[in-house]
Amino acid sequence: MIKKKVCMVGEFSVGKTSLTQKFVNNVFSETYLTTIGVKIDTVQIEDTKLVIWDIAGRDSLSPINASYLVGAAGVVLVADGTRLQTVESISEIWSTVREKIGEVPCVVALNKADLEDWCVDNTTIESLRDRGWDVFETSAKDGVMVESLFHKIVEKTKE
Amino acid sequence: MRVCESSSNIKDYGFPELQPGQVIDDAIDFMIGMDVNTKLDLPFVASPNGMSISVSLVPCGDNLTVLISDVSDTTEQRRKLQQAANENELLVERQKKLMAELERASRKLEQKNRQLEEASRLQTSFLSGVSHEFRTPLTSIIGYTNLVLNNLQKTGDEQKGLADCNNDYLSAVQRSSKHLMSLVENLLDHGKLDSDEIVLKPKPNSLKQLIDDVELVLRPLSETKGIEFNVIPPYNETATVMVDDSRLRQCLINLIGNAIKFTDQGSVTVDFNYANDTLQVSILDTGIGISEEDMNKIRLPFYQASGTGKIGTGLGLTITERIINMMGGALDIFSELGEGTLVKFNVHASDLGSLDLDSATRELIKTKSLDILLAEDDPFIADLMILMLKDWNIDVTHVVNGALAVEAVQSHNFDLIIMDIHMPVMSGYEAVLELNRIGSTIPVIVMSASAVEADQKRAAELGCSAYLTKPVDVQEIIETADILLSQ
Repeated sequence: MIKKKVCMVGEFSVGKTSLTQKFVNNVFSETYLTTIGVKIDTVQIEDTKLVIWDIAGRDSLSPINASYLVGAAGVVLVADGTRLQTVESISEIWSTVREKIGEVPCVVALNKADLEDWCVDNTTIESLRDRGWDVFETSAKDGVMVESLFHKIVEKTKE
Repeated sequence: MRVCESSSNIKDYGFPELQPGQVIDDAIDFMIGMDVNTKLDLPFVASPNGMSISVSLVPCGDNLTVLISDVSDTTEQRRKLQQAANENELLVERQKKLMAELERASRKLEQKNRQLEEASRLQTSFLSGVSHEFRTPLTSIIGYTNLVLNNLQKTGDEQKGLADCNNDYLSAVQRSSKHLMSLVENLLDHGKLDSDEIVLKPKPNSLKQLIDDVELVLRPLSETKGIEFNVIPPYNETATVMVDDSRLRQCLINLIGNAIKFTDQGSVTVDFNYANDTLQVSILDTGIGISEEDMNKIRLPFYQASGTGKIGTGLGLTITERIINMMGGALDIFSELGEGTLVKFNVHASDLGSLDLDSATRELIKTKSLDILLAEDDPFIADLMILMLKDWNIDVTHVVNGALAVEAVQSHNFDLIIMDIHMPVMSGYEAVLELNRIGSTIPVIVMSASAVEADQKRAAELGCSAYLTKPVDVQEIIETADILLSQ
């Protein structure tokens, strides 16, 4: 069986754990619990064992621990669609990833699409797509686009 | 990478027991993607059984040593601190967002305030303009009335010589009164259009009659100014059309009146065309024309073109255009300063063919020898009406309030009641209620200064037969009475 390590990266509280848990265990919790270090989950997608590294989010005091990225076949850049600064910081986080493990396949999740105070406009989404990234407007709560997101990153790691 | 050896306590962290020769990443997920040369520290990794462990990968010759230690205590402390810090940061972000929203709302409010201030300024400026407009004809009315009264006080031969003078003065009074009335009507219409109170009341009308009426009203105006006035009726002018004649007449008088008003020499030509249920009118004048700047603004309420030296409310065109739109038509204006103006508009007017309106035209003779009760508290209006109705051989019994009207009905059999609304002792509405209560079936024509739709609705609800707005034309009373009494 093919084994692929994929890292979930992004600012704190954007929903990396929620997306992973929705995809792996089909559960969602409204309560925010910060991730310390990394949680590793596995799930099988067709012939691939996907190992998802749910890495603690970046915050103003601590950057992403790049050690967790080593050996990753791809990354999911996650942002909160109701907090524009988390979308803007995607570029910086991507730089950290590229510096550590090079140009790996990447998809973008703009999460919390179920919330009313969504603030990402089409221009922003287009600018992300212009960088060659597949962009998914996801909702971990409703499960919208979550399956597609993970299937896409698996597909890209196999290209 | 395969396992060489492993310590037995690896099971304590939830990992499966490792056998020498086993592929390491089949058993331990965090080893996927690693190789023997990877030197790495992975702090705070959640182990399969939920413990927090620290993992160190140390290359050692051809082998890789993997060191695992329990850091659960440190992790828990760190989790609490990190949770608090992140929640705090989220609160700060939320606060910033709310502040930004507050600022946006505040800016919007400020803008709204500025708009309100501007509206208030325009209103004040409008009111002061209107006060001036009202003052002009009022001054004229008061002045000429004084002159007439002074003349009347003079005696004998002197008085005879003053008759012509009085005629002139009264003509001036009449002109000013009409102007004042048009100002009031325009203001009222504008208010009604703003509150969507104007409702069209289409009815069968002779196209020819309509055009003739308008020509009759406006020709004296053109003759006074010494300009040529041409009216070209449609080839099918005998058609009967379904249209609110009163509103259409208002539009025609306003637009043609404007053309005459702004033309000092040359001509005004009005061309009517009627086809496909649409009446098209074009009004061409050789007047002063409209500048490009004024052209952009003339449709705005209260706007008056500069330098024309003509007076008005600046509402006529606004009202006319809105009525035309209500009638399913559109208004176009083409003009150049000094070159005259062409105004074109069309309205929807269903063709009723050659409907014989004669059957609908009442024989006014029927109204002769009628017995009418007039309830009106204003002695001048009452006297005027009695005089006018007398010409039609109509007997008028006059009372000054609603209570006396009810009393009169109980002692005499009238053909018709003309009822003012605002009267002392008992109002017109109260009197109608009382008449209903005692079972009177005499038709009631309400006569009121209020042209508000709500008042007309109230009168209809009370069962009044007709509602006429003051100043009431005697012809209007006769026609209404004739229709009511022939039903």
